[in-house]
Amino acid sequence: MNIKWTSENSLRLSRILTFAVLVLAVVILFLIPIITQWYDDVSGKEPIMPVLTVCAYIADVIVIAALWELNRLLTNISKQELFTERNTRCVRIISWCCFGLAAVFAVLSFWRLLALLVAVIAAFVGLILRVVKNMLATATELREENDYTI
Amino acid sequence: MPIIVNLDVMMAKRKISAGDLAERVDITPANLSILKNNKAKAVRFSTLEAICRELDCQPGDILEFVKDEFK
Repeated sequence: MNIKWTSENSLRLSRILTFAVLVLAVVILFLIPIITQWYDDVSGKEPIMPVLTVCAYIADVIVIAALWELNRLLTNISKQELFTERNTRCVRIISWCCFGLAAVFAVLSFWRLLALLVAVIAAFVGLILRVVKNMLATATELREENDYTI
Repeated sequence: MPIIVNLDVMMAKRKISAGDLAERVDITPANLSILKNNKAKAVRFSTLEAICRELDCQPGDILEFVKDEFK
């Protein structure tokens, strides 16, 4: 089977992966108590199941929201709608989701220090997305100006 | 926006339709509509020149500055 690597196929792959991760995040939402219990059993450290469960629920909901927006963004891109206010809004929401995740993991780091690393990475990704959002907003303004120059 | 495009007034004076003017100026009717409805953000000199030529008028006959009272 010979699949050509076109931008259309790349976009399709991104949409499939996003949808797959979205489904996974929804499934995980129902398995959180089992996963946190299992973590407490195998970690060998002091049990933190209640805190971990709350943090996992919040983090998973944030991830689902971010993936939903990502899916919406990819749908817009596939419709050839690139520099629009709607897309800027999507990236802004995803950026805030990253900052939200950073906050959740920062709280969790009081019990597990390694969570601080995840918090820093999430905050950094959020920051990058904010810059991308600013760029997208400027590009949208330029496109509008160009479209409305007669 | 304080700049008002009075294209429809001039078109009525010259008795020319939007479709005719769009064709003569070589812009799409959709773009002419944007211009007429004051939705345009900028006008190219070449477009302005073509409109003035076809309507036999001056840029001041089409464009008007109105002071923004809220500022």
